[in-house]
Amino acid sequence: MKVTALIVGSSLLGPLRRAEEEINRRHAAGLSVCAYNLGAPLEEAEWESVGRDLSESKVVFVIHVTDGENATRLMRLLREKGEGGRTVVVINCMPELMRQTRMGSLSFGAKGEGERGEGRARRLLKSVGSWMGEQARARRKGGSHNQYLKLVERMPALLRFVPNAGRLRDLKRYLQLFCYFLQPTPQNVTSMLLYALKHYGGDPRLSNVRVPQPESVPAVGVYHPDAANIFGSSEAYRRWHDARARKGGTQTLEPSKTVGLLLMRTNVVSGTRRHYDALVRAVEREGLAALPVISTFMDNRDACTQFFAEEGKARVSQIVSLTGFSFVGGPAMNDSEAAVEFLKGLNVPLRSAVSLDVQTIEAWRDSHTGLNPVQAGMQVAIPEIDGATEPFVYGGMPAEGVEPAALEERCTRIARRLRRWNRLQTEERRALKVALVLFCFPPNKGNIGTAADLDVFPSLREILSKLRADGYDVEVPADADALRERVLGGNSESFGAVANVAYRMNVEEYLRLCPYAADVEKEWGAAPGRINTFGRDLLIQGVRLGNAFVAVQPTFGYEGDPMRLLMSRGGAPHHGFAALYTYLEKVFEADAVVHVGTHGSLEFMPGKQVGLSGECWPDRLIGELPHVYLYSVNNPSEGSIARRRSYAGLVSYLTPPVEDAGLYRELASLKELLSAYRQSSDARERERLYSAIEEKAGAVHL
Amino acid sequence: MSRPQQDKTSEERDRRVLELWERVVEVEQRLIPTGLHVFGRAAGERECVDLLRAVASFDRPECGARSLNDLVSEGLGLGSYERLLQDKSEQGWRTRARVDEVVRASVEMFVHQDATDACRLLESTANVDAAESLKVFELLAKIKHQLKTSGELDGFARALRGEYVEPGPGADIVQNPDVLPTGRNTHAVNPYAVPSRSAYERAGRVVETLLERHRAEHGRQPRSMALVLWGLDNIKTQGEGVAQALRLLGVRPVRDSLNRVTEVEPVSLQELGRARVDVVMTVSGIFRDLFGATMLLLDKAVRCVAELEEPDELNPVRANVRARVAEGDCTFDEAQLRVFSNAPGSYGTNVNFMVMDSQWESPEALGDLFVTRKCFAYGRNSQGRALEGREARGALARALSTVEAAYQNVDSFEIGITDVDHYFEYLGGVSKAVERHARARPAVYLSDALSRDARVRTLPEMVRLETRAKTLNPKWYEGMLGHGFRGVAEIESHVTNTFGWSATADAVDGWVYTEVARTYVLDEEMLERLSTLNPHSARSLVGRLLEAEGRGFWEAEAGVVERLREAFSELEDRIEGVA
Repeated sequence: MKVTALIVGSSLLGPLRRAEEEINRRHAAGLSVCAYNLGAPLEEAEWESVGRDLSESKVVFVIHVTDGENATRLMRLLREKGEGGRTVVVINCMPELMRQTRMGSLSFGAKGEGERGEGRARRLLKSVGSWMGEQARARRKGGSHNQYLKLVERMPALLRFVPNAGRLRDLKRYLQLFCYFLQPTPQNVTSMLLYALKHYGGDPRLSNVRVPQPESVPAVGVYHPDAANIFGSSEAYRRWHDARARKGGTQTLEPSKTVGLLLMRTNVVSGTRRHYDALVRAVEREGLAALPVISTFMDNRDACTQFFAEEGKARVSQIVSLTGFSFVGGPAMNDSEAAVEFLKGLNVPLRSAVSLDVQTIEAWRDSHTGLNPVQAGMQVAIPEIDGATEPFVYGGMPAEGVEPAALEERCTRIARRLRRWNRLQTEERRALKVALVLFCFPPNKGNIGTAADLDVFPSLREILSKLRADGYDVEVPADADALRERVLGGNSESFGAVANVAYRMNVEEYLRLCPYAADVEKEWGAAPGRINTFGRDLLIQGVRLGNAFVAVQPTFGYEGDPMRLLMSRGGAPHHGFAALYTYLEKVFEADAVVHVGTHGSLEFMPGKQVGLSGECWPDRLIGELPHVYLYSVNNPSEGSIARRRSYAGLVSYLTPPVEDAGLYRELASLKELLSAYRQSSDARERERLYSAIEEKAGAVHL
Repeated sequence: MSRPQQDKTSEERDRRVLELWERVVEVEQRLIPTGLHVFGRAAGERECVDLLRAVASFDRPECGARSLNDLVSEGLGLGSYERLLQDKSEQGWRTRARVDEVVRASVEMFVHQDATDACRLLESTANVDAAESLKVFELLAKIKHQLKTSGELDGFARALRGEYVEPGPGADIVQNPDVLPTGRNTHAVNPYAVPSRSAYERAGRVVETLLERHRAEHGRQPRSMALVLWGLDNIKTQGEGVAQALRLLGVRPVRDSLNRVTEVEPVSLQELGRARVDVVMTVSGIFRDLFGATMLLLDKAVRCVAELEEPDELNPVRANVRARVAEGDCTFDEAQLRVFSNAPGSYGTNVNFMVMDSQWESPEALGDLFVTRKCFAYGRNSQGRALEGREARGALARALSTVEAAYQNVDSFEIGITDVDHYFEYLGGVSKAVERHARARPAVYLSDALSRDARVRTLPEMVRLETRAKTLNPKWYEGMLGHGFRGVAEIESHVTNTFGWSATADAVDGWVYTEVARTYVLDEEMLERLSTLNPHSARSLVGRLLEAEGRGFWEAEAGVVERLREAFSELEDRIEGVA
């Protein structure tokens, strides 16, 4: 007996497999569940296999499918395969797919009249059926979210009023299945399958089984991998957490040291949460406390208000959303205005980490692209509009496996960065060190401080002044010219460098401190190479101003290297480039890196496009350092690359003043002549003017 | 150059005068940056009348405000301003000037006095309903107020303290006043929202103008075009460039029930009313990253058109695909590749580096480098498998071999074709590559919607306009020189980027170099200023002029070259002396 499940995401496959096993063990039903993840477009070969399984299945579940292309294709496939006595249960999909539901006499279109209770039952069905469509339309109402919570809590009770037989029988059964779906615990998923098979499977072995009523899990709460239960309130969690923390000598839930995590409810409920567990533990390993709360995927504001705030004050100092969706709105829409309003009020930064739910870990690892377009759009581009930063991949579906796994190295990287950000939030400012990196393109002294629309040295001086005023221990040169002199002048000439040499990193030190030096050597030969070097030393160019270090970023290193210029793909940054960022992190011991102006080369170094791995160059170069990038407001495209590939938080700056070009010299006099000609009605004068016009026009090449 | 005036009839002279008028006014009214920004400083007292006038010239449906120019034009009983702009007759220019004058006076009154006075002025001089004009001035007042303060240093401090930094859109103020206040975390757009309905609408007009322009000069529309797609303009316009590609092909985007663009459908030839155009899209690495879903959509659009059973002359996509398959050198799948970008994880064409670093001997090298860097195919094959940037050098070369015109959008005042090296590396690079593979230089067009008088220009026209409005314009260079060191670097960079257009597309008239030399080098006083402020960039500028002469982009008079050489060696001495 075959059931096909066309699902999306990482929460259902595990419970479905367990259900298959359980049903076969208990009922010897010979059940096989064929599951496909329809989160991203399938290839032809996969569609063929879907088609085969569909034809052989008595029952088909279609759950969470919202990808337009897959939906279209699936509808075509269902039409092609004909009815064939097959039961099709479509749950929480886009409206046109919902209408593909085939369960006895059930119809999503019919009006609610006639029998007692039918109106209410049909309204219930209608609200369930149009749910996804409503979400897409319900901008800024928050209605669908409340509706979801209401359904979770009240659906089973409401269902009692729907008669079991007669015209509403199939309708009731659909709603019963929906109740299981709303609480996808392993037991409920088993029940959902069993219930469908009992009534529509046509197998005598299952027609008399008793299917348990849906078990219920609270809609929201706090989850911790080490706790036996979900906590209904933050107080309950705090008691448990802090007792454990005191015993283990770990961080208590001090708001300034607590990271709030937003977890997908379905993954917590279905028990597919190893990736969450790993991230929670990584955060705790870094000496921070974790407050992981269950969020529905529609609107995170409720969970945040309930658990991350107390009397208007934040109980967490950073939020990491693991939901993969917009902060307000879920998968079908995003109400970023509401999100921003809320997050501004809380004033806690939002990070959004990505679970590979619609591609496998292996596919991601092997891909030069990184995230597939569906994930890049949904889980990166949309959260960014809410102000989310640092789009790290932290886990996902393994190719062979039924539930998400953690990417431990990524979890550690995220956690360390959270700790670094926390240091910026909590440490005394005079102890904090800030690297301010300038560009120089093409590399020549005249171009130090390259940045679109920006006069960099006066800007830099404004920044240093601001830092000093805010309590950072930095030196502020008298004026912009003095500052420029310090950077350009100094000892630069004696090294043939574009800027002052602040530090000479010898090869041994470089090889010791730079963990990826061996990979640079594969591309550029043995360190130190020819760029930014002096003898055996790599030159770190810039100037130290107290706890600020003003650095000059090297370029790609194509200059005078036609071979490298002609390569179709980049290989690695050169040793000089790697040395600068090694210096900033390990020698200067920066607490943060600020790139000054649009734009440098770090974020364009080779690696995946988005959803980087630890082997991608921008990821390696920026390492654990918090990154702030001052960026022209006129350049959202390259700025987004900096956000995604180097985990930058952008701070936009204004474009220059604009005015009409106006006219000058001969162009101005030409216009006067033209005016005079146009106004004159005297033929002789016009002739005279015309010859003057031609002469002037010639002078300005018109 | 025109014929001697004796040969001209009075009508011809009148026409010539109006043409010159149009050219001159085009320069005069072009918005240009007149300086640089200093982080954290408010724009404050800087001149903002022109900026506000530009803002007010567009409809702002988001705040219910209509274009002032339209309000005035209609109030004066002259009909729509759009129509006025089309009228290039003497009468048309006069009428347009009348409207512009009223608008200007009202914005000046608003800036120097207040909104009430400005509304009253419009009411009395042009019968504009104050309720309508007030909405415009409310928007202008908000912008003016926001320009008086700066949240940048505060935004920076918040970011560094690990606080929430509010997100904001990215664009220039005229395109989207919501970019204010700055000091926020700029974001891109949802790729599934692209192209928006209005972008698809606007693209229709631009594409028809573009084809019309080509027809006027070449007798027919191009059968194949090369398009450059960037993230920059497509973010700001919600995908106008994408929509242009779809329009050329003759397909429309289809939205699913969640309002996401995931499919396309062909527009019938009857509805289209013209032949389809084959398009080769050379896409920036940034667009590729930000618009992954859109890359697939564009590929799908080409494949959908290739399968339509239509006559070859009306469907060059199908014709070209079939011709290639018939030639036997590639499969049907391969022949449909039209969406190209860099290798995954790589960015840029490197053509800019090669030009700036003078690392090329024959011009072909630039076209070849473009193909080397951009020959990676995106989309999906007929088996639905993502290509993910498969190297397809032959496919790109073949696709370019039928191209007759190249095209790109320009998206802002600040980033014009000589302001950055990226325009010449892409549009110049692709045109050089076409020249090599099609054995003929393509017509190259750009369009911008920076002012109400939006139009499609040829590349040489655009270079001339940029040169006149910026590089040679004292208002521009004095603004830059006000920033001393950095200003000189900006001037040098303009000259180098102009040079890039010679190198890649031979699109620069010789006089441009003559005038640049006259303005910046032969003028002793100016040369001294540049040399004092930033001798390194001054040296690069002089060196670039010499290189242009050496490469034959410009025939300089002997004395001029001599003087350039002298100046160059004086600067060398000076730099070494400084050391």
